[in-house]
Amino acid sequence: VLRLLHTADWHLGRRFPSFPEESQKKLSRARMAVVSTILDVARRNSVNAVLCAGDLFDDPAPTPDFWQGLAKTFSDRAGPHPPVFLVPGNHDPFTSESVWDPAHPFRMRLPQWVHVVDRDDFTYELAPDVILYARPCRSKAGENDLAMALPAREAGDARVRIGCVHGCTFDLEGYQTNFPICRDAGEQRGLDYLAIGDTHSFRDVTESSLVPTVYPGAPEPTSFDEPGAGNVAIVALFRHGLRPRVHAEPVAHWQWTDRRCRDLNELRAVMTTQNLDRQVVRLHLEMTVSLAEESEVERIVRDLQGTDATHGSAGVLLVDRTNLRLQPGSGGVFSDDLPPVIKDTIGRLDALITAANGEAEKARATRALAHLYKLLQNQDALVGRAP
Amino acid sequence: LRLHRLRVTDLGAVLNADIAFGPGLNVLYGPNDLGKSTLADAIRLVLLLPHTSTHIEDYVPWTGGHDPVVEITFETEPQRIWRVRKEFRKGGTALLQESKNGVDFDDVERARKVDGRLRDLLRWGIPEPGGAGASRGLPTSFLATVLLSTQSDVTSVLNDSLQTDIGGTGRERIAAALQAVAQDPLFVALLKATQARRDEAFTDMGARKTAKGSVFKAAADRLNQVRDEKEKLQKVVDESEGVEKQLRDLTAMRGQLEETLFIASERLVTLDRLAAETANLAKAAEDVRIAREEVLRIQALGGEVNAAARTIEELAGPTEAAEGALKVARAQLAEADSALESAEHAVGASGSDPATAETVARQGLELRKAAADQASTDAQQQIERAIATQNLVDAAVTASREFLTQQAEREKIHVTLSETVAAERAAEEQLLEVDLLERACAARAAEEQASVAQAEVEKRAALQVRRDVAADEREALQALRTKIAVPSADALAPMRRLATDLAGAYGALNVGLVVTVTPQRQIDIVAKRDGTVVESTHEPLVVEARAEVELDIRDVATIRVRGGRRETQQTAELLAARWNSEVIPHLTAANVADLDGLTARIAEALDLDSRVTAKNTELQSIETQIAALVDSAEMLRDAIARRSACRAALGDVPVEMLASKLATLGDDPAAALRQRRQRLSIDLDLAREKANQVRTNDAIAEERTRTAGATLDAAVAARDTALATFPEGLATTFSAVRAMLATAVGEQLLVANEFSCLESTNAARKELIDSALRDARAAAKDARLRVSEADAVRTKAITDHALQVGRFEELSRLRDAQDLAAAEDALRDAVDRHAGAPVPQELVSETELAAAHDAKTTAMSDLNRIDREIQKTHGALGHVGGAVARERLRDANEAFELAAYHEREVEADYDAWLLLLEQMKGADAAQASNLGQVLAPAIAGRFEALTQRRYENIRLTAQLATEGVVVAGAVRSTDRISVGTRDQLSTLYRLSLAEYLCTAVVLDDQLVQSDDTRMDWFRALLTEKAHSFQIIVFTCRPSDYLADTAMAPEGNAVHNDTDGEFVRAVDLGRAVGRR
Repeated sequence: VLRLLHTADWHLGRRFPSFPEESQKKLSRARMAVVSTILDVARRNSVNAVLCAGDLFDDPAPTPDFWQGLAKTFSDRAGPHPPVFLVPGNHDPFTSESVWDPAHPFRMRLPQWVHVVDRDDFTYELAPDVILYARPCRSKAGENDLAMALPAREAGDARVRIGCVHGCTFDLEGYQTNFPICRDAGEQRGLDYLAIGDTHSFRDVTESSLVPTVYPGAPEPTSFDEPGAGNVAIVALFRHGLRPRVHAEPVAHWQWTDRRCRDLNELRAVMTTQNLDRQVVRLHLEMTVSLAEESEVERIVRDLQGTDATHGSAGVLLVDRTNLRLQPGSGGVFSDDLPPVIKDTIGRLDALITAANGEAEKARATRALAHLYKLLQNQDALVGRAP
Repeated sequence: LRLHRLRVTDLGAVLNADIAFGPGLNVLYGPNDLGKSTLADAIRLVLLLPHTSTHIEDYVPWTGGHDPVVEITFETEPQRIWRVRKEFRKGGTALLQESKNGVDFDDVERARKVDGRLRDLLRWGIPEPGGAGASRGLPTSFLATVLLSTQSDVTSVLNDSLQTDIGGTGRERIAAALQAVAQDPLFVALLKATQARRDEAFTDMGARKTAKGSVFKAAADRLNQVRDEKEKLQKVVDESEGVEKQLRDLTAMRGQLEETLFIASERLVTLDRLAAETANLAKAAEDVRIAREEVLRIQALGGEVNAAARTIEELAGPTEAAEGALKVARAQLAEADSALESAEHAVGASGSDPATAETVARQGLELRKAAADQASTDAQQQIERAIATQNLVDAAVTASREFLTQQAEREKIHVTLSETVAAERAAEEQLLEVDLLERACAARAAEEQASVAQAEVEKRAALQVRRDVAADEREALQALRTKIAVPSADALAPMRRLATDLAGAYGALNVGLVVTVTPQRQIDIVAKRDGTVVESTHEPLVVEARAEVELDIRDVATIRVRGGRRETQQTAELLAARWNSEVIPHLTAANVADLDGLTARIAEALDLDSRVTAKNTELQSIETQIAALVDSAEMLRDAIARRSACRAALGDVPVEMLASKLATLGDDPAAALRQRRQRLSIDLDLAREKANQVRTNDAIAEERTRTAGATLDAAVAARDTALATFPEGLATTFSAVRAMLATAVGEQLLVANEFSCLESTNAARKELIDSALRDARAAAKDARLRVSEADAVRTKAITDHALQVGRFEELSRLRDAQDLAAAEDALRDAVDRHAGAPVPQELVSETELAAAHDAKTTAMSDLNRIDREIQKTHGALGHVGGAVARERLRDANEAFELAAYHEREVEADYDAWLLLLEQMKGADAAQASNLGQVLAPAIAGRFEALTQRRYENIRLTAQLATEGVVVAGAVRSTDRISVGTRDQLSTLYRLSLAEYLCTAVVLDDQLVQSDDTRMDWFRALLTEKAHSFQIIVFTCRPSDYLADTAMAPEGNAVHNDTDGEFVRAVDLGRAVGRR
């Protein structure tokens, strides 16, 4: 039995512009950290080779932090190591300006067991009678089927043949520009396993075929709509003609989840979620709250998010407040024993809300009340600081 | 305010004085009549009185001397030290200087402007000199009364209030100070926190902060950053999608072209097949024809052989007969010769001479006869050769005729070919002209596009200029608008109501007063009618006023008579207070005098707002237009490139030359040219087809001409060769040969005759003997003749036979060389092939075949071009990104939406903070508008302590007028308390207000009627407060304020500082030079 670890779509150096800067760094660093996890999984499963099917960098010329980091991750691995094959994808195509260029310092720093697929006729004998064929992407978009460009099995060839390319097996409406891969390319080329990359969720696109064509998915998710991300594929090959066994093995640190809270109870329940500290949570607040409730909402969000002084209970938090509404007016939430001038202020704001001509004026006055309410909630600290 | 130094010269009784003040309690002491009050007045005069005022006349030394000069140095805030020097009386001077260190002073204002500036600095509620309400004498105000007390009226503060202030600055200053101290600590903290949040986002003028570091700037920067990123990626995606669309179009085009190529190939294959079938069929038919001709030829050859054989056979009989006849003739000749020989023997026997002579003659005749025979034979042969030569000549003539025919035919075809080639060339030239016109048309279209694009670029530039101008105008309008601080238009109505109410209230006070003053002795009286000084010297003095008469009897009393009921007066005061608090700030802020001015300012502000809005709309419209023209530069570049390409395609031909031709093509020259091209293409195809046909015919004609020429050449060569043997010409030869033949035949006949003559002679001579001989000789002669004739016949028969045999042998050889069976087999095969060859469904012309070839070649060429385009486009797509760019754009869109939401949230948040602050300030202003409520507790607390709770409280009005003191729960007028206590209450009032204002207070001979206990209490209070603000006391009893040790020590020292320099004792006896 020959075992392979098949991974793809690391997207090292990917930016997450929707997130706060601190969270962006967390997510970017996790992409680099998962490579070590993948190599550990490879070693634990005693694989004969690690196939990395493209989009390993998010850009063909990433900043040095990322290619130096990856080279160090490889070179820090002590002892014998199964060969690792790095295939350029459409995000990081093999061009003269890319890190894959033989003259790039990244290539110089790679250990001998790391092989870059930088030829169209790349082959490698993984074992007697087991051969790997791979082909790199040379541009960010292409109409050529790289899988179909692999050599076909010749008559009498009984070897186990493995293909590894980057591309897209499903056809979009109109013209498919992203290196389309024919679904039965594996069968047509006489392969026993076709390792591909591009889609970020784990998927075997040829479950009924003798030749599995598998997307391992991104080892760390890149967005909230990648339910099957966070895995690598472990492949066991037996002999030519017998379908290999493929299973997904999780490696991701982060789990990306969308949470919708339509009332305070649902929001409170978020706090009790297991492993919240390893989750990237997008919190959709879709509720109308009073001033007092809003204060609690903000407290929970602060607890989830953390402050300058404390860690948040969620790993990374993104809050969508577009559907969070405040009930207009003070609603009797303020204390009765406030100084008259403050009561007068509240009364004035309430009067503005009552007399408001539009929702905007109402919302502005309500928000002002909310500010006042929050200030009063912290009045001890406020008065303590006051001269 | 803190006083640093006072220098006085020639003021009243004071000759000169120079006093330096300490920061705290300054006790200036000296005996009566030293000039203490003059010094106190000096402070008031230098700060308040215009230097040219006649009021100074009271202070001109009685004994004459120089004009009074007062100089004071004071500090309004750290490092803002001012020095005022006034030389009073007409022709005097005034100078205001400023310094940061108290040593180096710079001039700030001079003359009349000094007082205006001073009043700005003091903010005591005294209007500018010469302004509305300004008095002619020493100006005063509530704060001036409080802070600069006069010995003459120590309790004046209890009778005064802000109500009488003409200027609003005093009230504002007090309100600001009291408001700060009156606020609830929690509220203060909230206000401060809210103000801090507001200040994060807005400038002091209320405009949004947009400089670096502001929250709006940060949010806008973030939004701009992500917008830039988004737009950049959008551009990449647009470019990518453009390329993808191009790729799709090209791919679709490739599909169509593949289809076209397929159809063209199929058509070509079909036509090739049909052409091949046609050719095969024709070839098979030709093969059949050739084979058939071959068989026929061989068969004809056999016939000729048989005919020749039959002729030989037929000729064999005459030959044998001729041979037989010759044999018979020769046998007869032999018999005749034998008979002759017998006869001759018989003659010989009769004599030998005649026989010998006859033999000689006979031999001569024999020789002549042989020569004649030979000549005849030669002539016959010559005739035959000549006939053969004549045949060759005839053949040459025939070949020549054939050659000429072919040549004529070819020339005819040549003419046709020239015509068709000319037609083809003409069609090609017309097509070239169409090409040229199409290029010209394209060039003209490119020119127009370039013009349009140029116009758009210029329009965009003009719009940008307009936008900049409009933006500048908007900035200017906004700047103008920012300078105008006015309330909303809605606020005007309440103000006008208040103005009406106030006017009504004042009207209710206008009851009309007539006061008559009849002095019993000389008094100095100043009368004011409704606030205006009455200039009258009549006695009695009659003053008639609408609401108020004030009589100031110098050094005696001030009498104020006011009209109207007390409630009405209170109402008026209340309304005036409201006017001061609700309207005056707006008037001051708007820098207008009245509501009409404010209305005008509001209208001006609204006008500016509407103009700013109009400018914004204009700017938006211009921006929209500019955005619509964003691609104009790119379009212009494309258009220029296209124009250059079109011009390059035209070569040296100027478009103008073609313009007239284009003009004849109607409104749509491109369509007309397209139609013309189609028509000309058809014409050209037809011309080419015809030309090809003619060329084929020409080639055939040429071949025929060449063949005919070769035949002619061969015939001529054969003829010439044959004719060469007849140098005299054929006719001559014929004539000569016939003559020779005739001669030879004549000779033969002559010889024969001579033979006859010889025989007859011999017979005559040898008649007797030769009767038998003659007969024998005649018989021999006949026999010989017959032999000769038989020989000629035999020769002819043999010749004919030999000729026929030769021909037969030649024909037989030819026939034997042919294989009839094989030829028949070949014919059968050819017939079979012909029968088996497929018959084409249609006949294909060469033209059709050529057109199909051309169509396939064109389709192939187009397909190759599209393939190259696809490869190139794909290269471009590979460069820009496609799916990669779309993924990044998706992220950028998310980030942009978040940033936009964040910016909106920031704006809403800070708008809310701004609103909260406004409402808090509004509430606070409403709470603090009653200044009396704020100030009263501070005074009351001390008054209560001073009087040991004899008095519970003091009641002040909103305008700080003293209503009275609260005793046993009832408010009692201060007039009802003792003079000393009123004095103390006044002092506390002054000190409390000075403390709130953090300003110096001057107490001139206060507390003179206080007992020791209360003086001790006051001394402690003053010593304590000396640490907070400056107190200047003029007194003749220094021990009331100072310990013995604090007095100025004996000697030259003018002053002595104690309590850490917070208490300064100044001995005016030493500091003041008296006149």
